[in-house]
Parts: sequence; structure tokens; C-alpha cells
Amino acid sequence: MAEERRFRSASGAPIALRRRQHSASCRERGARPRLQLRSLSAAPPRVWLAAYGLFALSENSMVLSAAIVITLIGLIIYLHFVKIDQESLLVIGSLGIQVTSSYASGKESTTFIEMGRVKDVVINEAIHMQKVIYYLCILLQDPEDPQGVSEVVPLFQSSKPRLDCLIEVYKSCQEILEQRKTAPQSSGIK
Amino acid sequence: LGAGRPAAHCVCMVSDFFYPNMGGVESHVYQLSQCLIERGHKVLVVTHAYGHRKGVRYLTSGLKVYYLPLKVMYNQSTATTLFHSLPLLRCIFVRERVTIVHAHSSFSAMAHDALFHAKTMGLRTVFTDHSLFGFADVSSVLTNKLLTVSLCDTNHIICVSYTSKENTVLRAALDPRIVSVIPNAVDPTDFTPDPSRRDDSTVTIVVVSRLVYRKGIDLLSGIIPELCQKHPELHFIVGGEGPKRIILEEVRERYQLHDRVRLLGGLEHQDVRNVLVQGHIFLNTSLTEAFCMAIVEAASCGLQVVSTRVGGIPEVLPENLIILCEPSVKSLCDGIEKAIAKLRSGTLPSPETVHNEVKTFYTWRNVAERTEKVYDRVADEVVLPMNERLDRLMTHCGPVTGCIFAFLAVLNFLLLAFLRWMTPDSIIDVAIDATGPKGAWTKQYFCGKKGRVKEELPNS
Repeated sequence: MAEERRFRSASGAPIALRRRQHSASCRERGARPRLQLRSLSAAPPRVWLAAYGLFALSENSMVLSAAIVITLIGLIIYLHFVKIDQESLLVIGSLGIQVTSSYASGKESTTFIEMGRVKDVVINEAIHMQKVIYYLCILLQDPEDPQGVSEVVPLFQSSKPRLDCLIEVYKSCQEILEQRKTAPQSSGIK
Repeated sequence: LGAGRPAAHCVCMVSDFFYPNMGGVESHVYQLSQCLIERGHKVLVVTHAYGHRKGVRYLTSGLKVYYLPLKVMYNQSTATTLFHSLPLLRCIFVRERVTIVHAHSSFSAMAHDALFHAKTMGLRTVFTDHSLFGFADVSSVLTNKLLTVSLCDTNHIICVSYTSKENTVLRAALDPRIVSVIPNAVDPTDFTPDPSRRDDSTVTIVVVSRLVYRKGIDLLSGIIPELCQKHPELHFIVGGEGPKRIILEEVRERYQLHDRVRLLGGLEHQDVRNVLVQGHIFLNTSLTEAFCMAIVEAASCGLQVVSTRVGGIPEVLPENLIILCEPSVKSLCDGIEKAIAKLRSGTLPSPETVHNEVKTFYTWRNVAERTEKVYDRVADEVVLPMNERLDRLMTHCGPVTGCIFAFLAVLNFLLLAFLRWMTPDSIIDVAIDATGPKGAWTKQYFCGKKGRVKEELPNS
């Protein structure tokens, strides 16, 4: 069962939050920026226009072919390495947290953090560009010091949802983390 | 909040000077904020990043501190272009729903920037001046002009002593009615006497100050040899660091006083008390001082204070606790001799009686109470609309400077309009209050851990 809700990102762009509940202890959250094709489709014509301008001045057709090649390569790199289409967070109470970001080309990069290393999931605030924003992050346990935090893994870095959306995700993460704490430790799968 | 009390304010303290940097302004901002939080106001502090300390931090009882990544130019003061800090400051003012911007110290560029932006955004402004300034040399003429510009449309100004008020009113050509005097305070529990720590077979003179020209270290280097020749049992302890340290080392070298003059170097604030209680007499040789915290701290530790009669110092302590001298070697030596004579004859009051007397004089709670009255008054005032502000700038600050800054104010207004168009106020998240009437920190149990408290927030 999946439901989709609309939120806004920290910069005001609309994003969709999709929630999928696989079972009581397994939930998936996906934040997907509504694809801004406008900004994407505006770049190549601009490069081409500039190339035509240069062509008119220099009368060298190399300029035109170079512009086409550059835009094509640029688009491929952009879609493949930069433009993140969807970010999702899969929390499985007995196993761990999986963070996936899919690029616009379909490439996916996944990190998995096993439950034993997860200390907590919290909302923090940080100065980002010329703004102060809230973000969700996973605190990793320091193996040497049970009270300490060894690393902070920020979530939804490219969609940057606003606080209302973060609270939504935060609450459901906490529900599962709570279950983990109350459930008997012996039944856990390592 | 009980009925009849005016609404709580949301105060944003802005200053370049804040912890981990040490000094009078820093502790003033911190203590004042703590006492205002105790009185139910929401307080946050904005300062620049210190090394790796960037971003948002929480201090005791939920005092939220923003360490903004702005470049430091000189003496821990940030560079100012008057505009570049606007986006971040606006974001903070909007998300925290700030009602009063309280800037500290005229040396802080960030404080002036914040005042400028706050006035553009239509927020109420208060400014606290912590230092005295001259009128004659080029640098003070320029800073005084900037201060005039910065303060001419500020709602209220707070000075730390009457001398400082007079100085500020003259420097910035202000209406004295909008200037209040609220002295600094010391935490009397930090400065308790301990007569067992001092050696009563000798007489020890303590000097604790930064070793800079303003603090009269040149005078000190004249006093030390003169008195040491006269009184063989006299010892000096000098705490502090600065460019004038070399002079004291030279004096020590020349007169072979290594066993009698101890130079301790820079002191942490918590060590100051341990140094003070080792002495009988505290010597302050400042050449200019708005309100001398050091002599109150020393008196609170039960020391006899000898000080120069400059700036606001005569207002600070009653006559029976302080010996005032002219800022000259001869006069200061006479003052110290008088103190030594009193000490020998045993007519000095005991450290405990002095401590008990001083601890009632200056408390932070009292400072916070009086500052709150200023806030209440400012909250009822109207902020000058743009056209009146421009008018004020042009009529008040001279034809050239006035026009330049009026132009800059217009530019700032346009930049703000642009930022509002780029990111409207409505899409800036409202921050969860840590302190104040709806403060999450004050309601939830205090755990001392940032993460812990933060994760409780969304459930509330």
C-alpha cells in the first residue's frame, strides 16, 4: 500500500513524499522532487545559441559540432551523476536502514547501515548556502564509546524537504526504532 | 506567563564577541541571555564562526547560538560590506520570529550590520555600548561618524556607566532620552574571598588586565621599580597577556626583580579568582575604561582596590572600598602607599565584609530586569518607515555621509525585496523554540545532550 503526499523543499520547490508500508516493522519513504524539466531543457538551446553566435563570427563549423557534442556529454553527465530524481529511505526494524538515491538516468546508489550501528535518527539544523535549514540525519554509534557518536549521515540531501515533511518521516522512523528497543533482543537477525 | 505581565520578547543578541572568545562583552552577553531566559524570554545569540565551531549550538538552559561562517577581518571582528550578511541574518530573524535585535559593542562590525538589516526589515533595535572612545584622532573621528549613522535610527541605546553615556551621546550626537544606563555585573559566587590563600608576611599587589596601552601598562612599569625599592616585602603578581608584556619583562630584568614580580601570562576566566585571592591590594592602571569589571571582581574577592580616576571608574565602587588616583606614576604610588599603610595598621575591613557589601551591588538578575524594561519600552515604539528613516539619515548625519548611507539603505531595501521574492518568508521554516514561553527546552527534561532534546521536539 502506497500513499503520496505533497510537500515543499527548503527552496520552495514542490516534492512528493511516497510512503509504503510493507509490514509493521518495515517502511519505505521516498522523496521525489517534481522534475523541473524546464531548467533542464533550457540549457542546451542556450549553448547552441551561443555557438551560432560564435559561428556567425568565426564561420568555423567546428564550433557547431563541438557545441552539440558538449551539450550531449554534459547532459549525460548531468543526468547520470548530478541530477537526483528520487531519494528513498527503507527502514527494517530487525535489519537496518537502507538509503537509496536514484539519478535521473536510472543509476542508483545505495548505502546500507545495519541496525547495530544506528544510534538514533534525529532532526538537526545547519547553515546551508545562505540559509539555515532543518535536515534529517542518522547518528552512527561509536564502537569504542557506547555513548558517543562516530558519524552523522545526512538524509534527503538533494530534495531537502521542509520541517513538516521531516517530522512525518522522523516519526515513523522513531516508531520502528522504538519497536526495536522494546522487542526482545534474541530474536533479531544479525 | 502570569496575567498583567507584558508579553515575552524574542530577543536576538548579535555581537562578534562571544564564547569561546573570552572578555567582558562575551560574558555580558552570556549572563544577560541566561537571566532573560530565566525571566521567560526567548533569547538567541548570533556571532561569527570560531575555527571549527560553525552552525547552530545550544548552551546551558537552551540558549541557542548561531555561529555564522563569516570571515574574520581584524581582532575577531568580521569584515563588513553592509550587505553580504543580509541573507543569513534575514533567514535567522524570520525563522526565529525575532522581535527585538540587541547588538553589542561598537567594535563589532556584525552588530552594526545586524542593526542596519533589522531596521530595513522593520524590527526594533537596541544597542549596548561597552567602551569609551576619544574624539581627536583620525580613527575615532571615523568610527564616531559610523556610530552616528548606526545609532541615529536605533530605538534605544544602553551604556554601562554615566561616563559612557555622556561619551556615547556626544560621539553619536544622540538624544540623551533614548540612552539608558545599565551597569555590568559580576557573578559574586565566582569571586569569593579566601584569606588563607594569601601570605600575610608580605604585601602582594595583584594586577589582572590585558597588557595593552589602554590598560596603562606603561604606568605600571614605572610603579613597580619605585615601590619595590621602597618596600622590600612588596610582591607583584601580573596576570594577562598582550603586546606590552615586553616592557614589564624589561623592568624585571633591569632591576633584578625576578623573585618579586611574577608574570603569569594569559589567564582563563575561571583562574582569575585563584590569582586574585593571593593578593592584598588590587591595582588598576587603566587610561580609559567605561565600566571596570576587574575592580568589582577584585573587591568581591576582598582586596583593597587602587585605581586611576578615569572614565566610569569613580561610579563603580563606593569611596570606602577604592582609592582613586590620577593616572600618573607619582599619584598611583601615593595611592598604593596609602593602601599599604592601611593594611599595616589593620584598618582595612575584612575580606568577608567587603565581599558581602559588594555582592549586593551588581547582579545579573538586576541587569536583566532593567534590560527587560528597555525591551518593554522599545516594544511599544514604532519603527521608522523607510521614508522617515532616509530623512533621518540625511538630516542627522551630515550632507555627504547622510546621503551615502541613505543610498546604501535603499540598496539594502532593494536587496531585501529581491531576497523576499527569491525565498518568500512563508517558505522559511519556523524554528522550534528552545527557550521562551513555548520553549521545548524548558518544558522537557534537561538531559544535557543536544541530540536528545532535539528528537523530543517533534512529538511535543
